[in-house]
Amino acid sequence: MSVRILTVEDDERIRTAVSLALQEEGWEVEETSNGEDALASFSRHPSDVVLIDIMLPGIDGFEVCRKIRRLGDVPIVMVTARADSHDVVAGLEAGADDYLRKPFDPKELSARVRALLRRSKTVGAPSNFTFDQLEIIADEGMVRIAGKEVHLTRTEFKLLVELASNNGKVLSREDLLERVWGYDYFGDSRLVDVHVRRLRTKVEIDPANPKYVVTVRGMGYKLQTQF
Amino acid sequence: MLDEETETQRNSTYRIKLGLQSRISLFFAIGGLLVSIGLSGATLVLTRQQLVESRENSASAFALTNATRLSNQLTPDSSVEDLPSIVDSMTKIEGSQRLIRIGDDWLPSQELDREDLPQNILNRVSELEAGQLRAEINGKRRLILGIPLQVFDAAYFAVVDLSDLEKTLSDLRIILFGAGTGVTSLAALLGWWISRRTLRPLRRVREAAEAIAGGRLDTRLIPQSDPDLNRLSESFNEMAKALEERIHRDARFASEVSHELRSPLTTLKASVGVLESRKGELSEPSQTALDLLSRDLERFNRLVSELLEISGYDAGAASLELEEVNVYQFIRAATRNDNSINYVLPENADSLVIRVDKRRLARALSNLLDNANRYGSGPTAIEVLNTESTIKIAVEDNGPGISEEERKIIFDRFSRGSSSGQRGDDGGTGLGLSLVQEDARLHGGRVWVEDISVTKSETGSRFVIELPLREEE
Repeated sequence: MSVRILTVEDDERIRTAVSLALQEEGWEVEETSNGEDALASFSRHPSDVVLIDIMLPGIDGFEVCRKIRRLGDVPIVMVTARADSHDVVAGLEAGADDYLRKPFDPKELSARVRALLRRSKTVGAPSNFTFDQLEIIADEGMVRIAGKEVHLTRTEFKLLVELASNNGKVLSREDLLERVWGYDYFGDSRLVDVHVRRLRTKVEIDPANPKYVVTVRGMGYKLQTQF
Repeated sequence: MLDEETETQRNSTYRIKLGLQSRISLFFAIGGLLVSIGLSGATLVLTRQQLVESRENSASAFALTNATRLSNQLTPDSSVEDLPSIVDSMTKIEGSQRLIRIGDDWLPSQELDREDLPQNILNRVSELEAGQLRAEINGKRRLILGIPLQVFDAAYFAVVDLSDLEKTLSDLRIILFGAGTGVTSLAALLGWWISRRTLRPLRRVREAAEAIAGGRLDTRLIPQSDPDLNRLSESFNEMAKALEERIHRDARFASEVSHELRSPLTTLKASVGVLESRKGELSEPSQTALDLLSRDLERFNRLVSELLEISGYDAGAASLELEEVNVYQFIRAATRNDNSINYVLPENADSLVIRVDKRRLARALSNLLDNANRYGSGPTAIEVLNTESTIKIAVEDNGPGISEEERKIIFDRFSRGSSSGQRGDDGGTGLGLSLVQEDARLHGGRVWVEDISVTKSETGSRFVIELPLREEE
């Protein structure tokens, strides 16, 4: 079955050119020019990856992102034309898995999409982990906290599994960027920070004082294994 | 001629050296000094006159009384031998002595004899006139009064000591000198204080102007209650506001232009990407055209993103995103682990963590490497020096080196030195090094270039970025 990508972009020329570039990779592209159409299209026929431009007429990209995120854990890439970091963080907070800054290289876009598609598949590590009340059943992609199932996006799940399989040792932001997102050393470490924050709101009883996913100052993050 | 010139020069330096505040203080001090001199002089003269006069008056009154008493008690037969008993009955003044002549005989005082008396007064009395004069006898200032007693061919002389008067006057002089010095210093202090108060608004203007020049464009002066000063601060604030608006408008314009360019650039890049992937289907001229297109698109793209960065700095919108960075990993990753480069890292580089904006510092380093590739025949060494408060990252090349004039302007925007002839198709934008400078400045550091032939036997340049080490906030 071919991969379907939903794009939301109001600039027709960009939309067409980006579609051409994505089709060149052998993917099927569903083009929409505003948030309402995108949401309607997604509810009719969920895609495998969503590409959302932040500046949209009508409901903006953040809102589209939040609504799609509520419908499922489909990988979302935000596209921003602004250089300031506010848009990036807001997009990630709204539920985006990754972001691209205009003007992006079509090769970079394909690489991002491929990395997200890889993440979509079930994590290869067959092992299960239990840390106090936190249970990770890796091959089923399931996480339970105090016996209750929590719903994680694929990126959050991948992040948790990477931390869990490191035996309580610290992973630097750069390590996590490489293992989860497939970035090199100069990936944006805010990706890690925002996702860790989101992960904590789901698996921690008190996200402000995390018990499992802890920050090691000056080094990175680790999963607490001793209680 | 030459001397005159040096003289004028010296004068002008002298004038430059003395600020308004010092000059006002000096004027006040000179004024204070003149007033003190005038007042002290007048006080001294008047006091002296007063003291001497009153002393003379009382002395002559006593002398007259005593001379009268003497003449009353003398008889035509009296001789010097009779005098002591008469003298005992006379009124005595402190510090005065008397000499009496009868005929050719003299009754000397305890200290003085007739030879001690000045000739003037002797002459005068011998002409039967009373007289007085001031003279120095035996090293002391004295007043000498002579009164002839015609009937008995006798004369009465009184010698009054004035040296105590001199002592009083000299004490007074010391007191007045002290007071004068005090007044002068006080005047200088007053002048300093007044000028300081007067210049305070000017100092605020200076500070505000410096703040604006330093980039804090929103600096304004506080309105003053004094109408004269308020006009100054109003004009200043208007100027600052106009300047701020102008700069922001320019920066916004650059930012909007580059921003507007992002959309067409996105379309262009995606379309060129599609063409690139189907390059094999194109004819040879089309392929060449596509190559030209994609290479210049890349250059254009870079120019736009650098312009956008620069305009961000100009608008004051650039901010540091500090994070902890492992020096060893950072340097290796930023230089893509190039084995042709000689890495000179501190021993603790692997455990050395600095707080920097990773993206900006990596770009700065990458721009320096690009620069070395373009003009310096490639980077040869990267050295990291770590001191207590700073970290220095140096990039060396073995190129032809950079002349002193070029070193001054090399970090300016679009500055293309003498090597511009070699540029051709090098893809440079002319903004790379000025961005390095802005990035270093944003970190509170600086960047400069040295000639390595000074310390090494080969030619080449050494670009150094120096950043302060930051503590965790």
